Amino acid sequence: MSAAVTTPQVVSDAAPPSPVPVAAPVPEVSASSVEARPVVLDVRNLVTYFYTYDGVVRALEGVSFKLRRGETLGLVGETGCGKSVTMFSITRLIPDPPGRVVSGKALFRGADLLWGLGAEARFIPVKGTNRVKVKRSFRKVKAAQARVGSVRGQGIAMIFQEPTQAMNPIFPIYDQLSEVLLEHRGEELVDGLMQATPDGPAVHAAADALERSVRVSDDAIRDAARALGEAAKLPSFGTQAFYMARQARVIGRTNLAEDVRRAASRLRLSGAQRTFLKNERELMSIQRELRSVYISEMRRGELERVHRGRLSARRLRTRLRGLPYRFPGVKRRTSRPLREEAFWRAVQALETVQIANPVQVARGFPHELSGGMLQRVMISMALSCDPEILMADEPTTALDVTIQAQILELMNELRTRIGTAILLITHDLAVIAEVADRVAVMYAGQIVEMAPVKSLFTRPMHPYTQGLLESIPRVDQPSKKLESIPGSVPNLIFPPSGCRYHPRCPHAMPICKEQRPPMTVEQPGHNVACFLYNGPPVVE
Amino acid sequence: MLATPGSALSGGDGTAGNEHVLFSVRNLRKFFPIRGGLFSSHIGDVRAVDGVSFTIHEGETVGLVGESGCGKTTVGRMLLRLIEPTSGHAFYRPPPDVVDRIEQDYQAIGMTPLPEDGGAGKLSPEATKALHDLDGLADKYSLFRKKRKEIKALRARLQIVFQDPFSSLEPRLMVRDVIAEPLDIQHVGTRAERMRRVDELLESVGLSPEHAWRFPHEFSGGQRQRIGIARALALRPEFIVLDEPTSALDVSVQAQVLNILRRLQQEQRLAYLFISHHLSVIRAVSDRVVVMYLGRIVERAETDELFSRPLHPYTQALLSAIPIPDPLLHRERIILTGDVPSPADPPSGCHFHTRCPAVMPICSKVSPPMAEVRPGHWVSCHLFPPASAPGAGGAVESPAPVESLGSMDAGPLTTTAEASSSP
Repeated sequence: MSAAVTTPQVVSDAAPPSPVPVAAPVPEVSASSVEARPVVLDVRNLVTYFYTYDGVVRALEGVSFKLRRGETLGLVGETGCGKSVTMFSITRLIPDPPGRVVSGKALFRGADLLWGLGAEARFIPVKGTNRVKVKRSFRKVKAAQARVGSVRGQGIAMIFQEPTQAMNPIFPIYDQLSEVLLEHRGEELVDGLMQATPDGPAVHAAADALERSVRVSDDAIRDAARALGEAAKLPSFGTQAFYMARQARVIGRTNLAEDVRRAASRLRLSGAQRTFLKNERELMSIQRELRSVYISEMRRGELERVHRGRLSARRLRTRLRGLPYRFPGVKRRTSRPLREEAFWRAVQALETVQIANPVQVARGFPHELSGGMLQRVMISMALSCDPEILMADEPTTALDVTIQAQILELMNELRTRIGTAILLITHDLAVIAEVADRVAVMYAGQIVEMAPVKSLFTRPMHPYTQGLLESIPRVDQPSKKLESIPGSVPNLIFPPSGCRYHPRCPHAMPICKEQRPPMTVEQPGHNVACFLYNGPPVVE
Repeated sequence: MLATPGSALSGGDGTAGNEHVLFSVRNLRKFFPIRGGLFSSHIGDVRAVDGVSFTIHEGETVGLVGESGCGKTTVGRMLLRLIEPTSGHAFYRPPPDVVDRIEQDYQAIGMTPLPEDGGAGKLSPEATKALHDLDGLADKYSLFRKKRKEIKALRARLQIVFQDPFSSLEPRLMVRDVIAEPLDIQHVGTRAERMRRVDELLESVGLSPEHAWRFPHEFSGGQRQRIGIARALALRPEFIVLDEPTSALDVSVQAQVLNILRRLQQEQRLAYLFISHHLSVIRAVSDRVVVMYLGRIVERAETDELFSRPLHPYTQALLSAIPIPDPLLHRERIILTGDVPSPADPPSGCHFHTRCPAVMPICSKVSPPMAEVRPGHWVSCHLFPPASAPGAGGAVESPAPVESLGSMDAGPLTTTAEASSSP
């Protein structure tokens, strides 16, 4: 691989080949080529406060950045500097109360995810204390949540820090994966089922071929199963047949073709199942239209009440029409093909993240999996709807280094394959150096430096960035003396005046106490907020 | 490479010699029983630590690295007898001649499989003699044969700093009581003297005496970890187990804590067992490094030697997986597939063979013996067979591997392969 490739996705020859097709090499990510890509997320002046009993915690104070298609933006900083709060503010997942996004814009392809913030709440300071009382209009908050909800998943997918806590412990893995698939890929699933031809002579012939392939090799089984899926016009049936065949091979079962044909005949839809599926599909398309109405509301900046009302009336009518198929007991039978289709799609999703035995994993519960496995499940969930933006909050912090390498590799691959933009939140500068194109360094709720990764590591400008880089122990430089930054992260209820870093800064000047330094451009693409530098201010 | 008897006698570290040995850990094992079925019968074992041997000298830092679940914390806790081992010895401060005797005994036993390990036949006379000799030495020196009272006295010299600074400090005690507690238990000095000592300790870890009057919840993670260190230092120990002391901390704070630990070691000639999964931290602090995988040691060497010439495929993969904070540097990455197997049902033969990029047919059958490939650099891998072992071939090829006591550390005379768990 050429030296021009910035992203370190070089895999040694010794490593086993990955089952996922290797994507074309990432183009050289120079400052100029990144600039040319379309912006998918434009965050401007994000301000988030937490209204606690002790006072107002100023967690984010004017965070701005742009995320472009196919790039990885690293967000680094110490614990409590607001990295995760930034992610949660953009997707409006801040626990409210006590938190509140006070102002700012988050333009996702022109639609402002934070539109209508001003009308949502009033702030009343409590006399004689530091407290501020927040009076929310819950109707408006709920509407805003619904609007942003239309972007989550397909537009912006998220990977959370603690996979064990992000999954629901009482549902099996496949259940949680199918939920995502049915929500975002539902129509596709239904269409696939409706036009499948699981009972034709072609399928029967393919089933026989599959049985023969069992005696050959795993690759032959894979090919035969794929052919079977094509014959049935339902790729997920191929996946099902593949695992049936592998099972047959292990336990030495002989009448595989018979079993496959029986499974195929179960895919033949009854009248009630067909009607149920049509009804479901209608509901799903209404849901999709509703999402696009929400997005257009955020883009145009006005409510489309009439349009939305019409859609919800239609949804109600469709639900009523489908009622006979939703009674308990009836629904179990009518919805079975859809549930099974979702299950095998979930298995396919798990295959993409290189889980070796996806069927068992899919049937398992979160507590049965290790942290690394669960994190991969989370990633497969986030990727199952090909998101435009992936926000990963410390995706590898809880994992071991060897597993971390696997996960980072996987995210990189996704970026090159689908062009997903990644916001990678971590406190580990080494991870950033390995995978990010650009880096934003945060300190106490503000971005203090933003630069292409090479430029940041070779020429860090902000004293805080310099301090951070000095304090990392390095495997390749053992004799390096570890410099630590004196003091600790400030209390954000009473943040330091002016530049928030000045109490710990070795270069603090009188002006630092008085004014907040503006973000200035020091080199193309390298911005810094510090009075030591006096380049032209950043223009929006 | 042929190991000289001298280096083998030193417990496998070649350089530091027999002098000033603080701990000589031999064949340490800890199996946690799995109970289940009818009447909660014993249905299996989690082999958390499975035959680990290494030496710690006075005033040095030994780094213990491995992924989560490989047994490194269990090793650390056994050295303080917070967990009782299943078998094995930790000889505490053996004199040089005793170190030699231990070595010779293990070699003698290593030649013959023990009946209890499934080895056929009776012990040879020499092995029986060696076993008795070892038993006598263990009575005298092994930490695991000490009585409660002796252990209480020893705990003054052996201390630990725990991983999680948020759960290892009693929330209802003030910091001064937290730090003075070891002094109270050991009845050191008068009350006023203890309080003076607390102030002194707080200053030595970079806190001020006024912090003594606060409660742990008022401190940040880095400060709490420093309180934990101050508590460990209270009795002027000679050995501290540092169990992931910085993994809950931010890098800038981590640097503060590491610098404090380094300074204290120089001032007080402390020995550390530094347990971490973070290789760059290990490299920054350790003199020698022990790499563990699934309850066994796979490689052991001086820090610089290990990091510049890693030999075991696992160590190589581990090293190549560490992200380096330098975007200009491009390395060939070895990406391991799969997860760490469960220690309750470890793979047969070499534990690493399920993930090893250089796996051979023999790896799944026979577990590799420890071999000294360079002076002081020990590896357990079939790629590096012990060069001078008489009869090694026979043992390696034997279809039924034989478990032996001395195999992990008996040096060039180790002939039998460390047997796999045969469930």
